[in-house]
Amino acid sequence: MAVLGQQLRRDRVVLSIWIVAIAVLLAGSAAAVSSEFTGAAARAAVLQLGLATPSLLALRGIPNGDSAGSLLWFQVFAFLAVAGGLMNTFFATRHGRADEEQGRRELLAAGAIGRLAPLVATAMLGLLANLVLGVLSALGFLVAGYDGTGALVAATGLTSCGLAFLGVGMLAGELAATSRSANSIGVVAVLLAYALRGAGDALGTPHFEKLTLTPSWPSWLSPIGWAQQSFAFTENRVGPALLPLALAALAGGIAFAVHARRDLGASLLPERSGPAHAGVGLRSMLGLAARLARGALIAWAVGGVLLGALIGTLTNAVAGVAASNPQITQVLKAFAPNRQDTVGLLIGAIMLMTGMMAAAAGIQAVLRVRGDETDGRAEPLLALAVSRARWLGSALAVGLAAVAVVLVLAGIAAFAGLAASGRLSDSWRAVEQALAELPAAFTIVAAAAVLIAIVPRASILLAWLVFAAAIVIGLFGPLLTLPTGVLDTSPFSHVPSVPFTDWGPTVVLLVVDAALVALALVLVRRRELSS
Amino acid sequence: MTIAIHTRGLVKTFGRVRALDGLDLTVEPGEVHGFLGPNGSGKSTTIRVLLGLLRASGGSAMVLGLDPWRDAVAIHRRLAYVPGDVSLWPNLSGGETIDLLTSLRGGADPGLRARLLSDFELDPTTRGRAYSKGNRQKVALVAAFARRAELYLFDEPTSGLDPVMEEVFRREVERVRGEGATVLLSSHILSEVEQLCEKVTIVRAGKAVESGSLSELRHLTRTSFHVATGATPAELAALPGVHDVHREADRLAFDVDTDAIGPVLTALTAAGVSAMTVAPPSLEELFLRHYGDRVES
Ligand SMILES: Nc1ncnc2c1ncn2[C@@H]1O[C@H](COP(=O)(O)OP(=O)(O)O)[C@@H](O)[C@H]1O
Ligand SMILES: [Mg+2]
Repeated sequence: MAVLGQQLRRDRVVLSIWIVAIAVLLAGSAAAVSSEFTGAAARAAVLQLGLATPSLLALRGIPNGDSAGSLLWFQVFAFLAVAGGLMNTFFATRHGRADEEQGRRELLAAGAIGRLAPLVATAMLGLLANLVLGVLSALGFLVAGYDGTGALVAATGLTSCGLAFLGVGMLAGELAATSRSANSIGVVAVLLAYALRGAGDALGTPHFEKLTLTPSWPSWLSPIGWAQQSFAFTENRVGPALLPLALAALAGGIAFAVHARRDLGASLLPERSGPAHAGVGLRSMLGLAARLARGALIAWAVGGVLLGALIGTLTNAVAGVAASNPQITQVLKAFAPNRQDTVGLLIGAIMLMTGMMAAAAGIQAVLRVRGDETDGRAEPLLALAVSRARWLGSALAVGLAAVAVVLVLAGIAAFAGLAASGRLSDSWRAVEQALAELPAAFTIVAAAAVLIAIVPRASILLAWLVFAAAIVIGLFGPLLTLPTGVLDTSPFSHVPSVPFTDWGPTVVLLVVDAALVALALVLVRRRELSS
Repeated sequence: MTIAIHTRGLVKTFGRVRALDGLDLTVEPGEVHGFLGPNGSGKSTTIRVLLGLLRASGGSAMVLGLDPWRDAVAIHRRLAYVPGDVSLWPNLSGGETIDLLTSLRGGADPGLRARLLSDFELDPTTRGRAYSKGNRQKVALVAAFARRAELYLFDEPTSGLDPVMEEVFRREVERVRGEGATVLLSSHILSEVEQLCEKVTIVRAGKAVESGSLSELRHLTRTSFHVATGATPAELAALPGVHDVHREADRLAFDVDTDAIGPVLTALTAAGVSAMTVAPPSLEELFLRHYGDRVES
C-alpha cells in the first residue's frame, strides 16, 4: 500500500487536471447542446443532416430520436470516450514503462515488495481515478439538466471505456521498450477505437423516420462502439455500457501475466533499430530538415485530405439543409463573405481552415531548428561547412513545402470528392481556392523564421501567438465584426474567393512573403547561437 | 605555415557574466595542445568563439589564419569538432548521424568509418534516443575522425568514456598527429592532458594563467606520497623538493616537486620501504596551491 500512496502523491496534479478538464468539457458541451437546440424540430433538423452525412456520423456518433438526450449522445459521447481513453493510456505509461525507464522501479523492486505490487497499485489507482471521473461525469450531466438514469448509464459507459484503455495502456507498457513507444501504442489504440466505430457508423444504415442508425460491423470492434449502443438518456441499456470491462479484464490480465514472467527493463517488442548508413536523401541540410519534418507532415497531410474530402461529402447534404435553414447559410457566409452560392461558401470555409492547418504544419517544420538549437544539436551542425542562413533556410524551405503539400493534397481530395458527386465545375473551384490560400499560409511560416532570427528565445511562443491571432482574426473576425484595420492584419483576410477578379492582394502577399524570407536569411547571419 | 589558433585579449560577456576576460591562446600547427581549466573557467566558450558560433565581445581571434566570425564556413571545411555534451536526433540512427555530419564536411572515408566503429565498439543501428551519454560521445568522435581535417577541436571528449575507450581515443589523436594535424583538447583533468599533449594552456576565470610545454609546467605540479618507511620525518623534510611532511597513522605523507622525485626515491629505498602509494598531481591541488582556489572536480 506504500506503493499506492507514493504513486498517488506523485500523480495528484496531472491526474486531477485530466479528470477535472474532462468533467468540465462534458458539463460544458452538455449545457451547450441543451441551450443551442431548443425544441424537437430544431434537433430533428440537425440530426437529419447528420444521418444524411456519413462524415458527420463518423466524427460524432449515433442519435436515437429527437430528444435532447439523443442529440447529446450523438454529439459528445465519442469525444469524451477518446479524452478518457487518452487519460488512461498516458496514466498507465507514467506509472509503468516510464518508471522502469527512469530507474524508479529498480529502487522499488530492490525494496521488500512483490514484483507485481507496482502493477497492482497502478491498476487500483487507475480504477479509483476512473470511478472519480464517472461520479463527476454523472454530476455534470445532472447539473446540465439531464435525467438521473441517463446520467448514470452514460457515466457507466465512460468509466468502463476508460478502464478498457487502462488495461490497454498497461499492456502497451509491457510490450514497448520505451515510454515513448508505449504512449504511441496507447494513442494509436484509442484513435483506432474511435476510427473503427467512425467507419462502422458512417457505413451503417440510417433510419430517418426514427432518427437513429444501425451501425455496420466495424463499430462492434471498438469498446467505444459497444458503449455507444447503451443509448444513455433514451434507451438506457446497461449491458453494452459494461461490455468494455471485458476488454479491460483481458488486456489487464495479459499485462499481469507478461509482467510476472519478464525481467525488469525487458519488453516483448524490442526497440526498433535503424539503418547503419544514411541514405542519399539525408546527406544534406535540406534532407535533414525534410526527414525531421516527415512524421508530423504525414499527419498534417492526412488532415488536409480529410478536410478536402469533407467538401465533397458535405456539399449535397448542406445544399439541401441550407435551402430550408437560413441560419446555416449565415454562418457559412461569415467565413467566406464574398460568396453567393452555398457550395462556394462551403469551399471557401473549409479551404480557409485547411490553409490554417497548412500554416501550422509549416510553422512546426521551421520551429524544429529552434528545438535543435536549445537541445545542442545545432552546434555540431553549425561547426560544419554550414552557414546559419543555410541552416535556417533549409528548415524554412521545408516549412513552405509542407504548406504546399497539405494544401495541394486537400485540393486534390476536394476535386475528387466533388467530381465524384458530379460537380465538375465546383471541383475546379476547390482546387483554385486551395492554391489561393498558399500565399497567406506562407506569410505565417516566413514570419516564424524571422522570429527565430531576431528573438530566438521567445520565437516559439511568439510564432504560435502570431498563428493564433491570424486564426482568430481570419476565422472569427467577420463574425465578431472587428474593424477592418484589425481584420487586415491577418494574411487570411486577404485571400480572395474564386472565381478571382482581383489578383492585387495575392501579389501583395507574395511580395510580403519574399521580403520576410529574405529578412530571416539576412538577420540570422548576424546572430550568435543562443541556447 | 600560419598559426593554427591565435587569440589576443579575447573577451566574451554574457550580460553581467564575464566568461572570457582577456584570454591569450596560441596553438602552433602540428601540435597537440591541452586546454586545461576547472569547470566554468571558459573552455567551452573559447571553443565556441573559435568556431564562430559566438561573437567575441573584445580582443582578437584567428583560426587557420582566418576570422572565425566572418569566415566561419571556410574554416569549418578544414576542421572537425566534438562538443562536450553531445545530443543526437532521437529518431536518427548513429550511422545516419555519422554520415550526415561527415557529408556536410565532404564525406567519410568508408574504410576509416568502419574501423572506427569497430574500435569504439559502437552499434550504428541504434537510434539516437537509445544511446547512453558515452555512446553519444562516440558517435560524435567517429564522425570527427572519419574524415581527415587540418584542425581538431575536442571539448572534454573523454568525459563519458570508460578507460578502454579513452585509450582508443588517445590512439586516434596520435594517428592524426602523425598525419600532421593540429589538435586542441580541453579538459579539467591534468593527467589526461599530460598523456596526450606536448603543450598546455591553463585557463582560470576566463584568463590564461600558464602556457608552455609540459616540462616547463612541471614546476607547478607536485606528486603526493604516502609511505611506510624507516626514514624519519626530519630526514625527509631535509631533502630538496619535499614539502608538507606529516604523519598519518603509521605512514608518512608528503608532496614532492616533479623534478625531485628521483633523489627522493633513492633516499626512500636506502631507508627501507614496506608500503607506498603515490598519487599523481591533480588540477584541483595545483589550483589550490598556486591561486588559493577551491575548485570542485
Ligand atoms: N550562454 C551563456 N549564457 C550565460 N552564461 C554563460 C553562457 N555560456 C557560458 N556561460 C558562463 O561562462 C562561464 C564559462 O563557461 P564555460 O565556457 O562553459 O566553461 P567550461 O567549458 O570551462 O566549463 C561560466 O561561468 C558559465 O556559467
Ligand atoms: Mg565546458
